[in-house]
Amino acid sequence: MEKKRYNPIELMAVVASRHLEDGKVIFAGTGIPMLAAALAQKIHSPNLVLVFEAGGISPKASMLPLSVADSRTTYRAISCANMPEAMEMLQKGLVTYAFLGGAQIDRYGNLNSTMIGDDYLNPRTRLPGSGGANELASLAWKTLIIMNHSRRRFVEKVDFITTPGYLDGPGARERAGLPPGNGPHLVFTELGIFDFEEKSKRMRLKSLLPGVSREKVIEETGFDLLISDHVGREEEPTREELRALREDVDPWRVVLSRGDSSD
Amino acid sequence: MEIFEQGSGEIFSKITPDDFRSHMLAKTERANTDKRMDLKEAIRRFIRTGDYISVGGCSIVRLPIAFIHEVLRQGYYFRMAAGTRTFDVDLLLDNDRIMELDIGYILGLEMLGIPQYTRTRVKERLAKGELKITEWSNGTMAWRHKAAAMGLSFLPVRSLAGTDTFKHSAAKKVKCPFTGIDMILVPALYCDACIIHVHRADKYGNCQIDGMLNEDLEKARSAKSLIITTEKIIDTDEIRKDGSKTVIPQFYVDAVVEIPNGAYPTNMPGLYYLDLDHLKAYAKAAEDRSGESLKTYYLDYVFGTNDFDEFLEKCGGRKRIEELKKVELMEGRA
Repeated sequence: MEKKRYNPIELMAVVASRHLEDGKVIFAGTGIPMLAAALAQKIHSPNLVLVFEAGGISPKASMLPLSVADSRTTYRAISCANMPEAMEMLQKGLVTYAFLGGAQIDRYGNLNSTMIGDDYLNPRTRLPGSGGANELASLAWKTLIIMNHSRRRFVEKVDFITTPGYLDGPGARERAGLPPGNGPHLVFTELGIFDFEEKSKRMRLKSLLPGVSREKVIEETGFDLLISDHVGREEEPTREELRALREDVDPWRVVLSRGDSSD
Repeated sequence: MEIFEQGSGEIFSKITPDDFRSHMLAKTERANTDKRMDLKEAIRRFIRTGDYISVGGCSIVRLPIAFIHEVLRQGYYFRMAAGTRTFDVDLLLDNDRIMELDIGYILGLEMLGIPQYTRTRVKERLAKGELKITEWSNGTMAWRHKAAAMGLSFLPVRSLAGTDTFKHSAAKKVKCPFTGIDMILVPALYCDACIIHVHRADKYGNCQIDGMLNEDLEKARSAKSLIITTEKIIDTDEIRKDGSKTVIPQFYVDAVVEIPNGAYPTNMPGLYYLDLDHLKAYAKAAEDRSGESLKTYYLDYVFGTNDFDEFLEKCGGRKRIEELKKVELMEGRA
């Protein structure tokens, strides 16, 4: 097979970055979400406002922060605030996009980042827990999710709902006591982009990444996926997108190198 | 107020607003005294084993590593608040020094992944009941500190609802008596002790911090004892030149300990960047699930050293700090 010009993480970051609308406020988690947000700010959306949970508000794009708190998150920022303020910005509706990952996801966009297994006290694998994810997905207007695509991750039922998607369907968020009018918006993987069908709130294939077939997506998904009537096809990363990602955003390849082995 | 739902998690720290008022009144007597001392004395006077503690900084940034090393050497164990905790909690967990943990985020070293030995130990100790966890989120942990900092017993918030995180927390769901809207109540988190590493403090404990503040202001205001470790001690005249820079005033502070580079190998905003090589070396040692590689790490860097200066020397001393300063100021980029 011909050697690809990019690895899966580079591809995911580039594709996701194109969907971050300029001028909006975005709260991005560590790893690929931050990579995509930083890239968007360099190329497509120079006025995207990044907010970090430790208090960095609207830093000037520099190198990729290695942490949600490091000095790159406050580099020429308009404000060095704190966790309560950042979380209260979410609670008050100031934040359009929450952008996060997870270990497992189900058809309603519920996310697990707490534990894998069927016994909470004796998990097969213990994961870090919610972090800021629960607030991000409970309180931002549109939740964006980015994760690797496999049957192990796209499951019928997540082992633990760390972070709310549409819970068990339409109206469930409001019934549970969450604020109305928000929820999961898009899911990005190395195979495709997914949205949530308006009436059922179920995950739906929206568009395919370069070289990926519809069958491959269905094969790698552990639940019954809806398919859009008009499945789109994403453009390949451009030379400029890859250059900015590699040279400006993550020159040390701290996150990008994680995609090298799977290439 | 009717409670509609509540989590099954345990509350590890007593909710004691009235005791805290009395404690704070007694503390005002010492507010205007010289609190400079060395780290060993500060720990001896203000930290007891088994205390419920909170720690300042966030993730791999501005962590009081000098303090963590010293309590490891001295054999302390704790109960602990863990919103956005990484390397500090990992060091304690690797050595089985935490018994109860309120979790926002643990284990992960952010971009460096999850240390496998630490994860394995947590899993084993959870199964045996040696470690107890109550689930929260970074937001609810911050609001719990804030509720205590306000002198209250709880705060209403709008996250957690509908999730297993709620079910394994100690939060409660109620209808707001004013609006009828569902609200999640989170209990105030009063801590026995808090340790925060800052950029500058005077001898009374008036503190200045550069960069992100995370939930340090709330933690400082809701702990019975507060130890400040600082890069530098400055004159009170400097503090009084611009009082707007004081983020933690002296009333809350019990000890001021000068420890230059005291957050190394984590990032001290404006002064030195995190030492990616050191953290990677730790993460690599933690990949060995048997714990043997980490044993060597701890012997080299913690248990085989007498104090933080010795640790810094082993890590390259002043030369390494100078390099990290360049990276911090973005001059170290190719």
